[in-house]
Amino acid sequence: MTMTDLLQNQIQKEISELTDSINLIVDNFKTLRNPLAESHEKVPIAARQLDKVTEQTEAAANRMLDMLETITERQGEVITGLETIKGEVEKQGAEELTTLANSLVEKVNTNLNDAYSIMDALQFQDITSQQVNHAVSLLEDLGGKLQTIVTAFHGNPPEETAEEMPRKERAFDPRADMNDKKTNQADIDNLFNNRA
Amino acid sequence: MADLKILAVDDSPTMRRIIVNTLKRAGYTDVVEAQDGKDALAKLKVESINFVITDWNMPEMDGLTFVTTMRSTDDLKEIPVLMVTTRSVKDDIIDAMKAGVNSYIVKPFTPDTLKQKIEQILAG
Repeated sequence: MTMTDLLQNQIQKEISELTDSINLIVDNFKTLRNPLAESHEKVPIAARQLDKVTEQTEAAANRMLDMLETITERQGEVITGLETIKGEVEKQGAEELTTLANSLVEKVNTNLNDAYSIMDALQFQDITSQQVNHAVSLLEDLGGKLQTIVTAFHGNPPEETAEEMPRKERAFDPRADMNDKKTNQADIDNLFNNRA
Repeated sequence: MADLKILAVDDSPTMRRIIVNTLKRAGYTDVVEAQDGKDALAKLKVESINFVITDWNMPEMDGLTFVTTMRSTDDLKEIPVLMVTTRSVKDDIIDAMKAGVNSYIVKPFTPDTLKQKIEQILAG
């Protein structure tokens, strides 16, 4: 066997091994194709579930606002009534009743302020819905990338599933947070006070 | 205060209700609502608004574009604008200031801060 024959055999062996390796990689990709396609199909389902969280917390927050508006209006009427009673008992010099009326007015005012505090706390709904929208947007981006990979395996785009739906426009602050304000109000005010 | 008609612009119905209720407690009862910048510009055309409270992140037209549009429109450029948003990064605040916002509050806000900022803007 000549040197050229030996070299040729060696090259053929290398090519054969290389082909085997490529076939193995292709087989591995083929086994990955179905799980990737499945994951791609699950993205819109997850996005829809997260959208439902936003819809349901918004509906709940609005039901709470309905009740709080009713409560605050009613408490206002109670305070007006108690003030009238207080005026009358003061005129009659009934000290004990005046003290009681004062105490009741104070308690109703505390209830009213508590109701307003609950109302203020419902701002969480807007902030958490922005956080959820951010998460959905990331999921949708991931879905797009998965689709590109699945399309590459299939040679054409995967069939649209029943769960597919057009991407809706989402407006959110990716850094929205209930507690972590990057700039405090005093610094914001300074910026505005020192503007040119 | 009696003649003050405020436009509250926010895409969140919950936040709009909270702002309207907070304004009512502060004595500002004449409030018009809009869900984004585009809707707000339409409301400004038909209502005699003299104060605007706006969010930043909204679909259709965001708060920054809305304020920039207001400031380049003769009939609207003098109307004071208070921005109420979750965006708290300094560069964003500077961008809002450059767009023509008069003052800025980061959500979640307290009723006292909202009232104080409105009074400060109105006092000039």
